[in-house]
Amino acid sequence: MDLASVFYLGVTFGLFAILVGIVLRTYSKKRKETGEAPKYKMLDDD
Amino acid sequence: MEKPSYNTDIVRGFVNWSIIWGLVAVLVGVIVSLQMVNPDLNFPPYLTFGRLRPIHTNAGIYGWGVGFIFATFFYMAQRLCKTPIWSPKLAKFQLWFFNATIIASAVTLLMGFTTSKEYHEMEWPIDLMIIVLWVMFAINIIMTIIKRREEQMYISLWYMMAAIIGIAVLFVVNSAAVPAALFKSYSAYAGTNDANVHWWFGHNAVAMALTAPPLAMFYYFLPKSTGVPIYSHRLSIISFWSLIFMYLWTGAHHLLWTPVPDWVQTLAMAFSVMLIAPSWGSVINGYLSMNGQWHQMRDNYLVKFLILGLTFYGLQTLQGPMQSIRTFSAFIHYTDWVPGHIHMGTMGWVSMIGFACIYYLVPRIYGNEIFSIPLANLHFWLILIGQLIWSISMWVAGVLQAGMWNAMNPDGSLTYTFMETMVEMYPYWWARAIGGLIYLIGVLIFIYNLYMTVQKGKKSSSTLTEAEGRA
Ligand code: HEM
Ligand code: HEM
Repeated sequence: MDLASVFYLGVTFGLFAILVGIVLRTYSKKRKETGEAPKYKMLDDD
Repeated sequence: MEKPSYNTDIVRGFVNWSIIWGLVAVLVGVIVSLQMVNPDLNFPPYLTFGRLRPIHTNAGIYGWGVGFIFATFFYMAQRLCKTPIWSPKLAKFQLWFFNATIIASAVTLLMGFTTSKEYHEMEWPIDLMIIVLWVMFAINIIMTIIKRREEQMYISLWYMMAAIIGIAVLFVVNSAAVPAALFKSYSAYAGTNDANVHWWFGHNAVAMALTAPPLAMFYYFLPKSTGVPIYSHRLSIISFWSLIFMYLWTGAHHLLWTPVPDWVQTLAMAFSVMLIAPSWGSVINGYLSMNGQWHQMRDNYLVKFLILGLTFYGLQTLQGPMQSIRTFSAFIHYTDWVPGHIHMGTMGWVSMIGFACIYYLVPRIYGNEIFSIPLANLHFWLILIGQLIWSISMWVAGVLQAGMWNAMNPDGSLTYTFMETMVEMYPYWWARAIGGLIYLIGVLIFIYNLYMTVQKGKKSSSTLTEAEGRA
């Protein structure tokens, strides 16, 4: 494997790690309420 | 918090013009479908299938689709950010520049100037106009978001930002060309690289213009229409990010079995299949948002458009991944199956959501109740039937065509000549033209209903403030 391939592989894994991070953050128990709050707020009278 | 004064003038302007370009798109769609069954309807040099087809596709995607993207984004951004549009003057200028760009595109395409890249046919001077147009729009929406008075961002804002940034990047990269004359340029990329960049643009245009914006609208207008929040905001966020992570890799599914490197094709195939998950994340979220509200499918015409639109999105995002698999692609690629797929997306998903948004907006921006709900229902059924006839006839035609192309005699020679396979298509092309006509009648009823709403609709007390009090 040449250096470029190692780099691409690293970027791919990096991107997956970021996605997993986003999922874990979004679904953390601590953020349950704040995560769902916008769906109620958007229904406020315009 | 004191209520901000929202700008509705600009929303009106874009709603009106998107409808005009939508009518042009559908009308020209019907004309090109009739040209395919009757070549005598070609009037060279300007009114031939070759010149009218790109007018149809560009009017459909950029005039109608992007037109109502402008309208709804200006409407949603102000309300979700609880702040007026950053620069109403810029938005007003953008409206005129938008129309000028569409007209310049139509005229040059009719004159036969084309880069020959599908969905990016316009030559470089018009590319420059499109870039200026988009930058104006992007600045206005992004500044509105930055100046927002609502800390958290609702899911629609995420999709809006993705569309704005995504389209800018795709368009600029795919525009790279060396001008040779005022209306002639050569692509900056060569050979398979050119094809690869072009379909990276092509499929992500589907993602950023025909998927992300209608999803932003769906997530906004469904709860606004039913009065009930979406099922899960967190699920919508996860679906959003996974969609964004996956879409960019799928362009080469348009280039299966071509000289593009095999691994690029395989990558596109794998990511296309993975796309089912984020796409259906939104579909399921939408359906679950209807829990306890399914009766609204009967009572609320807006919900009918939105949920049927979402259903077409669900079907589209199952069919698309299927088409991305090499063996399946070998069968249906180059056949009429593919336009069937496209029009389930454009006439079904994108346009159904567009119609719903406009039905929602017009009473609010003009302060009149909708003129006739029975007419809106009739519109719904006509476009549904028209679209189904259109797509189903093409799927059947595509399978028949592929079957005939692949049929071989025991000695290995082809069973059918290409001409024989063409002749077999006529009944299906007729069916498509009839489906298109039914759809067109539906669109005319929609326009009549809106015209009457504006001219003769009953003043609505609840929406009066928004339309008249704070234009
Ligand atoms: C998971 C999502 C999707 C996937 C994986 C997908 C996949 C595909 C594939 C493989 C093709 C090429 C077919 C061929 O030429 O053999 C195609 C064409 C196309 N699809 Fe989809 N599709 C998806 C969703 C959508 C949506 C939501 C729309 C919205 C309207 C759409 C619009 C189009 C268009 C316009 C083309 C035609 C491109 C051309 O002119 O060749 N697709 N799609
Ligand atoms: C009554 C409605 C419509 C009719 C009769 C119609 C008809 C057609 C026809 C005959 C073609 C050429 C197919 C071919 O080359 O074999 C076509 C292509 C296309 N139309 Fe439509 N159309 C309609 C609505 C729309 C709308 C509303 C949009 C977009 C929002 C749209 C987007 C497209 C696209 C993207 C293609 C290119 C397909 C491809 O590359 O295979 N159409 N349409």
